[in-house]
Amino acid sequence: MSLRMAAQMTKLISHHLQDQPLLRLPHELARRNFKSVQRAVEREKEYVIPALKDTANASLSNTQTPDQTLAALDAMISRMQGLKRKMEGLQEEEKKIHNQSRKRIQHLEALHKIPSLADVKYDQWSRVRLDRLLVDHMLRSGYSDSAQKLAKERGIEDLVDLGVFTQCQRVVESLRKRETKEALQWCGENKAALKKTQHNLEFELRLQQYIEMVRTQDKSKKVEAIIHAKKYLVSNQQSQNTEIMRAAGLLVFTQDTRAEPYKSLFSLDRWSYLSNLFVKTHHELLSLPSQPLLHIALSAGLSALKTPLCHSAYQSSSSNSQSTSTYVCPICSTELNDLARKMPYAHHSKSYVESDPIVLPNGRVYGKHRLIENSTKIGSVEAGKVKDPTTGEIFSESDMKKVYIM
Amino acid sequence: MEAVQKEHDRILKKTKGSQGINNVQSTIDLLQSARDAIATDPTSAAVTLAKLQNPVKSSFDSINDNLKETHSSLNKYTKSLDKLFKDRPLPTTEHDALSSQDTLINRAIAMHLLREGQFGVTSAFLDEIAEQRPTEHPPTEPKQPRRVQFESDPSKPGSILDPHDVPSAEVRNQFASMYYILQQLQDNRNLLPAIEWSREHREALEARGSNLEFELCRLQYVWLYHGAGNPGTVSGWAAALEYARREFHSFVPRYLREVQQLVGAMAYTPNLGGSPYASLFNNPSAWDDVATFFTREFCSLLGLSADSPLYIAATAGAIALPTLLKLQTIMKAKRTEWTTENELPVEISLPPQYLFHSIFVCPVSKEQATDDNPPMMMPCGHVIAHESLKRLGKGNRFKCPYCPSESHPKDARKVFL
Repeated sequence: MSLRMAAQMTKLISHHLQDQPLLRLPHELARRNFKSVQRAVEREKEYVIPALKDTANASLSNTQTPDQTLAALDAMISRMQGLKRKMEGLQEEEKKIHNQSRKRIQHLEALHKIPSLADVKYDQWSRVRLDRLLVDHMLRSGYSDSAQKLAKERGIEDLVDLGVFTQCQRVVESLRKRETKEALQWCGENKAALKKTQHNLEFELRLQQYIEMVRTQDKSKKVEAIIHAKKYLVSNQQSQNTEIMRAAGLLVFTQDTRAEPYKSLFSLDRWSYLSNLFVKTHHELLSLPSQPLLHIALSAGLSALKTPLCHSAYQSSSSNSQSTSTYVCPICSTELNDLARKMPYAHHSKSYVESDPIVLPNGRVYGKHRLIENSTKIGSVEAGKVKDPTTGEIFSESDMKKVYIM
Repeated sequence: MEAVQKEHDRILKKTKGSQGINNVQSTIDLLQSARDAIATDPTSAAVTLAKLQNPVKSSFDSINDNLKETHSSLNKYTKSLDKLFKDRPLPTTEHDALSSQDTLINRAIAMHLLREGQFGVTSAFLDEIAEQRPTEHPPTEPKQPRRVQFESDPSKPGSILDPHDVPSAEVRNQFASMYYILQQLQDNRNLLPAIEWSREHREALEARGSNLEFELCRLQYVWLYHGAGNPGTVSGWAAALEYARREFHSFVPRYLREVQQLVGAMAYTPNLGGSPYASLFNNPSAWDDVATFFTREFCSLLGLSADSPLYIAATAGAIALPTLLKLQTIMKAKRTEWTTENELPVEISLPPQYLFHSIFVCPVSKEQATDDNPPMMMPCGHVIAHESLKRLGKGNRFKCPYCPSESHPKDARKVFL
């Protein structure tokens, strides 16, 4: 058994399924941070070097007063100081991200040092993982406060992505309030990455702005809408031609129209579509899985644990709350019972019963040794009698019949 | 994993030794000293500026070189990550059966947090759920009053866990009191709240065959004997004896032997360590054992499993995922669908502590028993599934597939595992 558990451990480690985003996300942040540094340096370089050359040429040809020269130099110095400040800020950020990565690597590394699934350390590790998954679920559902509290309580702030999700949540909230500003700002910050992945989030946001302008039915607003469309929508002509045509058609309709597709363009449901699209784009960009990892782990776990007995109409002899000889099964436990109802149950190819099964006259099967032991523990049962721990019936030991389960 | 660690160490080293900002500072210094020179002697402007060109350019170059190095170490790290996660896509999310069950999941989480004693987090969590709730329609599933009875209140059948009220105030109170008792027990070595609880629920505990109350009292006795937290107290044994006189008489019918042992051990005072009763009095894990025992009994009376189901399920899920994922890939490659929708198509071997029910697999049909196809015992004592019995017997006498005895299908009896 222990050999098999060890083998499973290797298999488990070799997968790191749930842990991929754990390392990917901070790395993605580090790369972005790096790119910001690069861009800042590039921008200053492009300004300072030509500026310096021009100043030198000007002073060489005496077309510039000394004061002008000094002013030009001052401008360069202040820009360089600006760059320095910016880089210092980014370096701080970088350090923070790297420290986070390091903590996460250590956390995963700890798993490698655990020899077997049966080890106590695996239990501890798995609890930390569950806390991680819970925080992740809370963040995704928008329960930021609870997420923060739990992370702090368990000291796992470095293992969860509070900042990223809080920012994401802020944009979602603003979209819920029917504001596009924050989402567009996010698009601006991630322009390069968005271009690479061919996302149409920005177009959809601009289209929504356009729709809102048309919705007012105000003349000057409509003119504004046309200008807006020329500026932001037409540039996407190649990929979004139909949408642009529809947008143009929208001008002659009012929002109570029943004509499709204009009705759905005016529909307020578009806002929830936008917020979903934003979340999807955001998660993809940061290589975050689209659904909470807790769901993935739970649906696999519920099925692996579930047996046909968990939702049976008859109370199981082997797991019920009336008997100390058994533990309540987690699937039978109220918390998960309804959740597991629609899940498939685990596949088993052989029976699993106690080694000395007997059957009582009422058809209940128990391990003989344990049944007798437990009956003696309950003081109220006379010697030579046993008590069915499920039904409470009392039988004579001689009523027990050996049963053969293959 | 080692590769990832190594690459990351490299990045860290690079970040620490980063010269980027120093280079920027030296550029600023260059510009500043040139400016100062020109300010004091405007005629030198042309020369100073001409001399300034190359150093400024080269310091920009070194900033860029520095960035390039950082870039390459970042790339190396990316590669090591790619290698680590190669061919390991995340499970696809085509049918996320749980996404529509948020209420139930949140309930399970709230319960889990309560079990862990995270009352602050739980109430924040419930508040946040309540805030979001009004925008959604409440689910209209029927309530399932299953297996949850609390013996102290038989007049109130039905679920103490109402799915719409995540989780009910009663459950919260129950867990709050459980946590209080456990805290007293573990931190203050105060068994009295636990003993009081076990007395209140004596009937239910006895019906379960649980000897929690006695275990608690026994530990209290031992603890008193050892001086109740003040080692070296001479009167320890007197206090213990006094406690025994007061409390043990109600245990005598059931636990005569144990009580005799406990009291008999007094004869060896003060050299109990060398007596046959030593193990009874010096059990280092006694407190933890009792705490675990108490938690188990407390949860069982609520119809809840002793360890957090969410924890067990998530852990079992992590163990099962590699297998399920492999299955998914194979099915995709072969374009097959999985035919038994009620049952997983592969066996997942979980550690033995994750098996909670007996499993019956019919030795003839190899199918797991269900309510519709229950296990049937033939007069010879062998058990097969109901459908196999029908198929083998066809209404006539038939031979057991495992032994020579013959019987009629109607002689077979349903058994409950």
